Amino acid sequence: MADAVLGPETSTRSGAGIARAIAVRALHNPPGRRWWIAFAAASGLLALFFGVILVLLFTGVGIWNNNNAVVWALDIASYDWWIGIACGSVVVAGTLRLTDAPWRGAISRIAEANALLCTLAAGLYPIIHLGRPWFFYWNLPYPNTLGLWPQFRSPLVWDAVDIVSFLVVTVSLWYLGLLPDLATLRDRAYAEAEIKSRRAGRPRRWPRLKAQAYGIAAAGWRGSASHWQLWGQAYRIVALLGLLLVVALQTGASVMFAGSVLPGWHDTILPVTELVNAVFSGVAVIAALAVLIRAVYGLDDLITERHVERLARLLLGLGLASLYCHGAEFLSGFLHGDAFERATLVRRLTGAQAWAFWTVLTCALLPVHLFWWARFRRSGPTLALVGGLVAIGAYADHVMVLVVTLSHDFLPSSALAYRVGLWGVATFAGSVGLFLVLLLLVLRALPVISIADLRAAAPAEPRAPAGPVPADRPVGAETPLWGVSAEFDTEADMARAMRALARPHPHHGTTVRLDAFGPVPMPDALDGLARRNRSILPYALGASLAGGAAFYGMCVYATAYGYVFDVGGRPRFSWPSFVVPSLSFGVMCGTLAVHAVFLFVNRLPRLNHPAFNIPEFGRASQDRYFLAAEARSTDFDAARIERRLVSLPEGGGRPLAIRRVPR
Amino acid sequence: MAQLFAPGADALLRLAVLSGAALLAGGAVVVAGIARSDYVTGVGIAPAQPVPFSHKHHAGELGIDCRYCHTTVETQASAGLPPTQTCMTCHSQIWTGSDMLKPVRDSFSSGEPLRWTRLNKLPQYVYYNHAVHVTKGIGCSTCHGDVTTMQMTFRANAFEMRFCLDCHRAPDRYVRPPDQVWNMNWSPPADQATRGPELVAKNHIHGGDRLTECGICHR
Repeated sequence: MADAVLGPETSTRSGAGIARAIAVRALHNPPGRRWWIAFAAASGLLALFFGVILVLLFTGVGIWNNNNAVVWALDIASYDWWIGIACGSVVVAGTLRLTDAPWRGAISRIAEANALLCTLAAGLYPIIHLGRPWFFYWNLPYPNTLGLWPQFRSPLVWDAVDIVSFLVVTVSLWYLGLLPDLATLRDRAYAEAEIKSRRAGRPRRWPRLKAQAYGIAAAGWRGSASHWQLWGQAYRIVALLGLLLVVALQTGASVMFAGSVLPGWHDTILPVTELVNAVFSGVAVIAALAVLIRAVYGLDDLITERHVERLARLLLGLGLASLYCHGAEFLSGFLHGDAFERATLVRRLTGAQAWAFWTVLTCALLPVHLFWWARFRRSGPTLALVGGLVAIGAYADHVMVLVVTLSHDFLPSSALAYRVGLWGVATFAGSVGLFLVLLLLVLRALPVISIADLRAAAPAEPRAPAGPVPADRPVGAETPLWGVSAEFDTEADMARAMRALARPHPHHGTTVRLDAFGPVPMPDALDGLARRNRSILPYALGASLAGGAAFYGMCVYATAYGYVFDVGGRPRFSWPSFVVPSLSFGVMCGTLAVHAVFLFVNRLPRLNHPAFNIPEFGRASQDRYFLAAEARSTDFDAARIERRLVSLPEGGGRPLAIRRVPR
Repeated sequence: MAQLFAPGADALLRLAVLSGAALLAGGAVVVAGIARSDYVTGVGIAPAQPVPFSHKHHAGELGIDCRYCHTTVETQASAGLPPTQTCMTCHSQIWTGSDMLKPVRDSFSSGEPLRWTRLNKLPQYVYYNHAVHVTKGIGCSTCHGDVTTMQMTFRANAFEMRFCLDCHRAPDRYVRPPDQVWNMNWSPPADQATRGPELVAKNHIHGGDRLTECGICHR
């Protein structure tokens, strides 16, 4: 399978080997001169960002030229652009996760990190584009001395809820994917710290602290079969919730447009257009990033020609969908739109902001057609170039949709001049700086490719030569015993041993508790543990529904009873306007519940655990499988379990080593 | 493999997480508490004035009507701060040699008004009109408290927006008959539930809908 997945170059490299290479890169790759140059440049842009925000706080949003009816220009275009890319990345990451695509390993981490970083870059915009940003919390429902509720019929409130939910979901997706990798890094860093200490002849503090930092981030992940089981469920549920949120967010954005009376924002295809364009820009940025990371890190054997080709095909398909959406908008506008809508469409082509339309056409819609040719589909540089162009085109698209409509509505007198100003561009450049600084830090300290996914997709290491089971290192008689552990080099062997142990102990829960630890999900072992049927789905579903219903109830109470307020003659019970924020809030509650249940059921975080006393246990996050029989009562008979394990036949579950583990 | 973390690490981690959560929640409570505290709102704090004027003595014990000094309260947006001449109507005759009243006499002779420290301040973006409130049956003490008990005058209410809205949403709970407007000890009678709506109808007060429009106060 590895052939199909990773290309011919890697068939000689084992999964563990690749994983080791990635982990070593995250731990040791010294920040070279190129990294520092890039980091300095990005930090300069970040400083610009804070400088601009400072000026903005003193002067006001007028510095963006937003001081006429063009109240949304580069600020909201930038926000929509970042969120669009983040949405596209969540769609890619979520779809890869849900379909369990075997080639996802090389792409999913980039997509997840990109989703998070773009959300962070977008995150400040909704706050700083307010007239008085220091009162941003007025958007949130909190007990206040004003006697007011937020106006839940306003998209401003939806934005506040959406961005918080989206941040929770992207952090969650990224962190869940990272969790087993963090454990791998912890174990490697710890092993290296031990070696360094031994060499130096004294305990080395910094290497150990580094390992502990990864250890705290890994929340005590031990790779137990039940960790993996719930991890897989949590990951899939969050991916699903993320997809749901993306649809709600992007269609919600077009609902916000449609909530106005302005021309050009009412076509019924707009929700689809927004969604398609978001995914289009997201895939484009992921493609460009993947090619760049491949070039910088020399990952040609991981991000292969096949990945490049798939991304190119995806871009072509999305480009066609985007072309269809744009075309349909023009067609229906000219076919049955009113005069104002037609005028808006004409102004897109010929007005003061016509550059935006032509940028969309030349950067986003046309270049993807290179990918009709196989030669270009397989070319990394072409993919990166087209990805970058599509991102530029997507930005122009947001500017076009916002500014052309706002700069002229129904009256001749309301034709307003707007010109892209230096401050708006500087703000955007600054947010790019924020993105790049975070990206460089993430690339520096964390694995760029998902080690867990690669390991699951790549072949196992060649079997260690079988021999007699090594003698146990005796545990002092006075040391209390935690249990007995056995080490294996394949999951199948471990599962066999587990079944053998479980059989003579039908009620093993009372005296013996079995657990399995390994570097990949272990469905076979779960059977032996009789824990296959556990599910966190009901909790996620319950929390999502309860959270969404509670938020909806709050909106209804606030708008219809608590704070009755006539906004443009809208009814007290304006039910459709409460759907978007309620959905977002429900998704956030579901995501948080998934994490809470995942941690609680697995009794994590647990930094110090007897399982870590198993000799060589660090390899459980790399290439070995451990079976642990934990003593639950004084009837525990370690010798009997050892005898049973030793008696297992070669290939039928005989362990590589059996050890008694102190508490 | 030995343990990377000492056995106490989990206790420390839990302590840190719980402390962080407690700090966050506690911080929010503290901030909300400070924002509502008298220290910030100034309620109950009597600042020093150029002359230690006592509402308790003049309005309470002597029974001088509010309108004797605050002359425009029934006709204008501002209730009016009395000029020094108003003080001198009496104090040119009584307590003429009092040291306490020396600033008043100085002000009268120099023509320089007394600089009182203002207690009841509304932001510039709030439009408030005394006349309409008083003539429609909202008494002085509803906002200013029972000044006849205040030796030195202090702010009786925080004048946060919620304070205004409570009445604008349900004026029938606060409206009084005309003769009770100047009563500093008024409290809603037992039959306010029936009399309130009658007064509201009689005075054409549009509570609830009209009175909660933004533009009523923020013009």
